Amino acid sequence: MSRFILRRLLQSAVVLLGVTLVVFLLLQLVPGDPVRVALGTRFDPQTYEALRSRAGLDRPLLTQYLSYVGNALTGDLGVSFRSGQPVTTIVLERLPATLSLALTAVLIAVLIALPLGVLAAVRNGSALDHAARVFSQFGVSVPDFWMGIMGILLFAGVLGWLPPSGYVALTDDPAGWLSHVLLPAATIGLVTASILTRFIRSSVLEVLSADHVRTAEAKGLRGRVVVLRHVLRNALIPVVTVVAVQLASLLGGVIVVEVLFAWPGIGRLTYDAVQARDYPVLQGAVLLVAALFLVMNLLVDILYARLDPRIRVR
Amino acid sequence: MSADSRTRRALSALRHDPPAVAGAAVLLLLVVVGVAGQWLAPAGVNDVDVDQMLHPPSWAHPFGTDELGRDVLSRVLVAARVSLQVGVVSVGIALLVGATIGLIAGYYQGWVDNVLMRGMDVLFAFPVLLLAVAIVAVLGPGLLTAMIAIGVVYTPIFARVTRAGVLSVREQVFVRAAVSIGASDLRIIRRHVLPNIAAPLIVQTSLSLAFAILSEAALSFLGLGVQPPAPAWGRMLFDGRGFVTEAWWLGFFPGAAIFLTVLAFNLVGDALRDVLDPRQLTLGEARRSTA
Amino acid sequence: MSNFGSRLAGATLAVVLVAAGGCSAGKGVDVDGGGATGGAGGVLTAAIGGEPDQLDPHKTSAYYSFQVLENVYDTLVEPDENLEMKPALATEWKTSDDQLTWTFTLREGVKFSDGSPLTSQDVKYSFDRIVGEKLNNAYRFASVKSVAAPDPKTVVVTLSAPTPNLLANLGGFKGVAIVQKANIESGAVKTKPVGSGPFAVSAYTSGDSVKLVRNDNYWGDKPKLDGVTFTFVKDPTVALQNLRGGEVQWTDNLPPQQVPSLKDGGDLEVQTTPSSDYWYLTLNQARKPYSDVNVRRAVAFALDPAAITKAAKFGLATTNQTAIPKGSAWYYEYAPYRHDPAQAKQLLGQAGVTGLTMELMVTSEYPETVSAAQVIAAQLKEVGITVRIRTLDFAQWLDEQGKGNFDAFMLGWLGNIDPDEFYYAQHHSGGTFNFQKYRNPAVDKLLDQARTETDQAARKQAYDQVAKQVVDDASYIYLYNPDVVQGWSKKVTGYQARTDRAIRFRDVALAK
Repeated sequence: MSRFILRRLLQSAVVLLGVTLVVFLLLQLVPGDPVRVALGTRFDPQTYEALRSRAGLDRPLLTQYLSYVGNALTGDLGVSFRSGQPVTTIVLERLPATLSLALTAVLIAVLIALPLGVLAAVRNGSALDHAARVFSQFGVSVPDFWMGIMGILLFAGVLGWLPPSGYVALTDDPAGWLSHVLLPAATIGLVTASILTRFIRSSVLEVLSADHVRTAEAKGLRGRVVVLRHVLRNALIPVVTVVAVQLASLLGGVIVVEVLFAWPGIGRLTYDAVQARDYPVLQGAVLLVAALFLVMNLLVDILYARLDPRIRVR
Repeated sequence: MSADSRTRRALSALRHDPPAVAGAAVLLLLVVVGVAGQWLAPAGVNDVDVDQMLHPPSWAHPFGTDELGRDVLSRVLVAARVSLQVGVVSVGIALLVGATIGLIAGYYQGWVDNVLMRGMDVLFAFPVLLLAVAIVAVLGPGLLTAMIAIGVVYTPIFARVTRAGVLSVREQVFVRAAVSIGASDLRIIRRHVLPNIAAPLIVQTSLSLAFAILSEAALSFLGLGVQPPAPAWGRMLFDGRGFVTEAWWLGFFPGAAIFLTVLAFNLVGDALRDVLDPRQLTLGEARRSTA
Repeated sequence: MSNFGSRLAGATLAVVLVAAGGCSAGKGVDVDGGGATGGAGGVLTAAIGGEPDQLDPHKTSAYYSFQVLENVYDTLVEPDENLEMKPALATEWKTSDDQLTWTFTLREGVKFSDGSPLTSQDVKYSFDRIVGEKLNNAYRFASVKSVAAPDPKTVVVTLSAPTPNLLANLGGFKGVAIVQKANIESGAVKTKPVGSGPFAVSAYTSGDSVKLVRNDNYWGDKPKLDGVTFTFVKDPTVALQNLRGGEVQWTDNLPPQQVPSLKDGGDLEVQTTPSSDYWYLTLNQARKPYSDVNVRRAVAFALDPAAITKAAKFGLATTNQTAIPKGSAWYYEYAPYRHDPAQAKQLLGQAGVTGLTMELMVTSEYPETVSAAQVIAAQLKEVGITVRIRTLDFAQWLDEQGKGNFDAFMLGWLGNIDPDEFYYAQHHSGGTFNFQKYRNPAVDKLLDQARTETDQAARKQAYDQVAKQVVDDASYIYLYNPDVVQGWSKKVTGYQARTDRAIRFRDVALAK
């Protein structure tokens, strides 16, 4: 067990190092001088020099990379080309918004997908099963921004039930937060739910066909009890991991939905940084997201290995 | 079973799968529109007429007109080509690069495998759209950079699928036999490995086309894809965003076009998977929601 | 309109005096409060279209920053609603006979929002900082030799040449605000600037909002509002919905196509005022065939500015064939072009040009250029010119502009009022923004003379001649002056939309 964890840890560390390299190289790939490009019309020689030396662009590449990694380890991701603020502060400020959106979206997704997926599997081939399939096909194919726009049109425009966009912090005004989070969270939640429904359905189907379920049925336990007690417990192990993977990628900020709904999370930050050519902020956001994604996946793997010892053999 | 007969069987199975038939029909239509969109379109894509701006759907303009008085139907039709082009080229890049990497990694194994696949892991550590946006941010927005960015993003999936396939084939008796009689690597790969990994790659390609088109639409929606005046579905949504409440047709039709296209690719892809490679893990799907 | 920046709009938001050339003394304003009680007015929420890049008034060039800073900082003098320079921190000023020494007297008892006094040392520090660190607005001090603070209430500005528009240079907008040394040196200014204006920044949440509270140390009438919150709402449809829903009481980010119906609607107050911005098309005179004035004039005759304006601004603009808007004291009525494809073809024929393909460079940074370009392309097609639209990222756009790598481009200038700012840099052969490479010795001479001309009438005459020549030569093909469009709730009283886009909430009250 601990050997498995150790190996995964090591692997993740190597990948994380690779991630820093990619993120670092982003800046090098900018055609021309990134500081000059970023300053654009706001160019003034002093700011230019300050940012350039702060970004260390006058030093050899390897030195730059090593100090980038070194600084990143101490939590220093450089300063924004635009505002001069530390990137770490800027990125962390956006985390709560993204976190609250991602968690709400996953909650909505699970609330839809769990009953739908289980019922579809239990009533395999029924009308409900078909409906679930249509739903999940719809969800993986629909562009989320389009669904978001249609949602705004309907719920904010025609019906006037919800605000079209904007953000209120949960800590400031829970009711206001809820009314603002519903549309974007539902937009993401529906897409996520469609993916989850598929996984849950096939996972439950697999367990249903397993030996111990058949045994339980043979023992005379009635259908519903079998489903609840035996099937769900076993089927949910892989489902938990899929939910966690979904959450991990949502934490990375859902760029399009955050932009559409003016939700000030990591995704919007990334988008704004791109617009403003604020490369350090872009780097910082991308690095944080990738690191979060890695850590979440690592946790999922470890969790999975605990729940299902067979995994370690892989 | 030879790869050839499997393909034939797959095609015949598809014929009896109504959703797949529907998907294939839509795809066929798309290809026709993609090739002949310019001639099918009732008006020029850049026929600006400010006196006709924001007219709702009518007989003259079945999809209405946009904020510059252009015919939305014509723009939707012509934009099909952009979507297909981005889909095909970017998935082509991903397939070519990814499969090559996966092939080399799986076939030679050892440290080559390790280095290549850790590299793929690194790319895999970024949410799809985030990485694409970052690449476009660096290279500058446009059709070409969008294709490159999406290609890069989907490369690791192909590398993994290929490698897994190669690994399973490599240990089979006929491959070991071929190695032992001294057949060259290239010959073994061509004769034995490639035919056996074709199925998962075909499935992955068709599903990736759906995701790639969706990614392009998302990039365009962020204003980072095809630049105006060239029409692109995502871009039309981006441009129409400010008018959506008064002019629903600006948001509805391009979005519906994206949806139908992606749906068609998904339906065909799913059907192909059911027939060719039922157990394949759809890595793409698990990552889909990051768009 | 973020990023419009120093290079382009050297005078972003600058306001230069209209009729104050020979002015020697300003009148003090009545500061006894006039019975205004202030306070208890609630907090006004204003939706602006984007986020400030930073709040250092000397370093930012983003309009979003100045929307906030207008209410936080003071300048030595400031433009009133007619853009005439009025006393602000300085109550009066004297000019020496040779026009080279200006002596300003500061207002009594002015304090920064943190309670520390504002003295002539702060004025000197502010101006020296802009010049010494070569910040965005250093060019406004081009003729300033030195700034001295002989006593706490007196500032002496010494010039190297007579500068008729000095007041506008020193007080035209908040980019030349008086800052506090400690606030600058600690670096806190970027997010928590300390000024002497009616409000003070209390919180800045990146991606969301900037919150201001009433500055109780303010020297003028006590603001009626308890505070102002600026929220960043990129999408105009959303801003409008927020305004209607009551979450927001003021915005300048309204969907342009809805403005006419909003003005008639009656549930909101919507004002449109012509601005001093202008948008133009220019052709690269270093390239053939655009070096031929007939070709440039042909393009001017081929265009239909009304249609361009409709596409770019939904009619929220006034077409104008010169740069300076109607309503300015410097306006010169001259409109030799009209939409006339036949005339255009004839001119092209004279120039011997057929089958011309023109690359038109626009930027997605300013979507109106992209929209307008498509209309321009359609119009030029009628006279046989094929337009290829190049839509570039702004950074790349600027690069190409700098290198002269273009046939034509479209862009705008924001907020210039003094004619020197309208014409010198753009059309003088040595002008820093003369990317179209216009060269006319007569224009050069006129521009140089007018620069230091202190006689108002003579100055106006010189600029009229410049305007006529520039238009005749089609150095710029001027398209339109956009309107300032702002809307607010009926609960808001005491607010006026201004030509210079300065947003002042100090006299505003909010009904419950």
